[in-house]
Amino acid sequence: MKITFPHMGNIYLAAKALFDGLGVEYIIPPQNSKKALEIGSLYSPEEICLPFKIMIGNYIQAIEKGADTIILPGSCGPCRFGEYCEMQIMLLKRLGYNLDFIVIDAPTDIGIRELYRRLNKISSKSNKSINTKMKSIFDAIKVMNLIDEIEASVHNFAGHEKISGECKSILNNCKKDALNCNSPKEMIDLLMNYKEKTNHISLNINRNPLKIAIIGEIYTVIEPFANLYIEDKLMDFGVSTKRMLTPSWWVKNTALLPTKLNSLNIKKSSKKYLSLNIGGHARECIGEAVLVESDDFDGAIQIFPMGCMPEIVSKSILPKISKDKDFPIMSLVVDEMTGDAGYVTRIEAFIDLLERRRNNVLFRS
Amino acid sequence: MYYLGVDVGSVSTDLVLLDKKMNVIEKIYLRTRGKPINAIQDGFRLLKSKYDGIEINAVGATGSGRQIASTLIGADAVKNEITAHAIASLEVNKDVRTIIEIGGQDSKIIIIRNGIVCDFAMNTVCAAGTGSFLDRQAERLDIPIEEFGEYALKASTSVRIAGRCAVFAESDMIHKQSLGYNDSEIIRGLCDALVRNYINNIGKGKEIVPKVFFQGGVAANIGMKNAFEQALGFEMFIPEHYNMMGAIGVAIIAKEIVEKKGNTNFKGLNLAESKFITKSFDCEGCTNQCEVVKITENNSTIGYFGDRCGKWCNKLIIPSKKLLA
Repeated sequence: MKITFPHMGNIYLAAKALFDGLGVEYIIPPQNSKKALEIGSLYSPEEICLPFKIMIGNYIQAIEKGADTIILPGSCGPCRFGEYCEMQIMLLKRLGYNLDFIVIDAPTDIGIRELYRRLNKISSKSNKSINTKMKSIFDAIKVMNLIDEIEASVHNFAGHEKISGECKSILNNCKKDALNCNSPKEMIDLLMNYKEKTNHISLNINRNPLKIAIIGEIYTVIEPFANLYIEDKLMDFGVSTKRMLTPSWWVKNTALLPTKLNSLNIKKSSKKYLSLNIGGHARECIGEAVLVESDDFDGAIQIFPMGCMPEIVSKSILPKISKDKDFPIMSLVVDEMTGDAGYVTRIEAFIDLLERRRNNVLFRS
Repeated sequence: MYYLGVDVGSVSTDLVLLDKKMNVIEKIYLRTRGKPINAIQDGFRLLKSKYDGIEINAVGATGSGRQIASTLIGADAVKNEITAHAIASLEVNKDVRTIIEIGGQDSKIIIIRNGIVCDFAMNTVCAAGTGSFLDRQAERLDIPIEEFGEYALKASTSVRIAGRCAVFAESDMIHKQSLGYNDSEIIRGLCDALVRNYINNIGKGKEIVPKVFFQGGVAANIGMKNAFEQALGFEMFIPEHYNMMGAIGVAIIAKEIVEKKGNTNFKGLNLAESKFITKSFDCEGCTNQCEVVKITENNSTIGYFGDRCGKWCNKLIIPSKKLLA
């Protein structure tokens, strides 16, 4: 059995740590690229949202490399993501691949027993002791938390760095080195090391950079290929960014879901504008916009794939927040385009606008 | 003392030459036709034939092709169109509060309060309602685009055409044509549809208050101006150089930047004679596999674009890139 899984941001590092720990064979699909998107859009329904297409590209590229078991993220949620797994299974079967599918759904939807049964399909292939298995799960979670923390710090520090490009290169090197680790322990040590490094980036404390929050649909904000590397671009511009939606946030949120104690701050702040869960992460998007406004941010950028239904709702609520709080919010819609001239124009203009509001100057020089 | 602004857009490439009092002394409008380098070179050839030997103190580049333009000409300022348009409009009239700009493939609204841009919006993934669409319909109806607007004025009624999507607007139009409506009624309907689309889409949630400037190539279309004025209920102003505003704005920005830093990067008007070659290749350095474009001028490399890690584009530091950071 060779397991594969779709990409979403840095999740592949946690998956690598997990399977290395379990001693199960796995294949990491090649990094998201135009090639993956091309394959994906060739086989996917035309009207489906962008993440679906990229995921299909990931699966097929991994299958070409020998994968025969696919872990699909599931959700019985009320947006199109809820039908991803069924459609993807059908699509891959129709293409004639002989595969095994393991759909990971939240226990609130399928029950803890069923989830355990599905997870057992993976763990039964591991000949490690139960203790080692448990440890690999915790190690994987630790890896995920660490890389999210590192990413958050470099995104935050990018506005303060003295040597321009230092933050970006630390992050790039970190990801590159982590991929070469052979055991979960090695990876955790390496990430701890990098985390320490982020504390020693030489910073210009006096600089007061623009602070922008990245909000919107979870896949497109987390996966840099889908959002045309917006966070890298903002780092290049010397802007500090913050993104609340991360894989570690997601795990924590899902784990707390049954207790209804998940993301209380988001629920509270979104109440005035969107009091219901309408699927996807629309409520989070609204809540975050309100939260970051009171947190001294200069603006927010909402990103979502074309046709994303929850985010279309939040997109039409955001102008109201923007007006009420006098807080600039820009929406960017991503689709299959990989030419980024239009995006850069919008991002640049948005940065100019924030700068002008702050300093009452005409443009950023 | 002269300042040059270059706006490389999807449809047109515009060059303006300003004197030291910010008066436009020359404007050149060329079709880009997907070949920005050729268009820039043609523009420079025209400039050189008329103004050879003049002292150009600052140069700015804007438009979707601003990066490539900046590499070619050695621009002092590389700015997005939104900022450039706002600055040019404020130069014309300090009281402008809304700018409606419709270009070849994008349309935007810029809200200005107290002399600064406080909000803007641009079309997202759809180009319905932009210049290219009108261009295409004019061609289909066999009417020169310059006369398109006049036709709309001739109509006494307007035919309802769906403006949500350019493709469906076209089929709607064909359908109405086959029902026997005349050209001018249809063109007027088309203008109304585009305005409707603009106000509901780009202008959504934005307060359009006078004084409104209407600029970009589509402002030449008198039918569009009329349709907008009817929908908004007040007069719009079309600045004299409505289709050059981006280039004018970036020339002004370049002037200010050069005044601060003291010298210009401008490479001179001779580049029309240079031989530029662009070549793209996939970088094999890592799994990102970026598609990198390399530009050479007379066999010496002047710039790289497209890599994410900076391995190529930092090889030759383009001065303009630094200004952006």
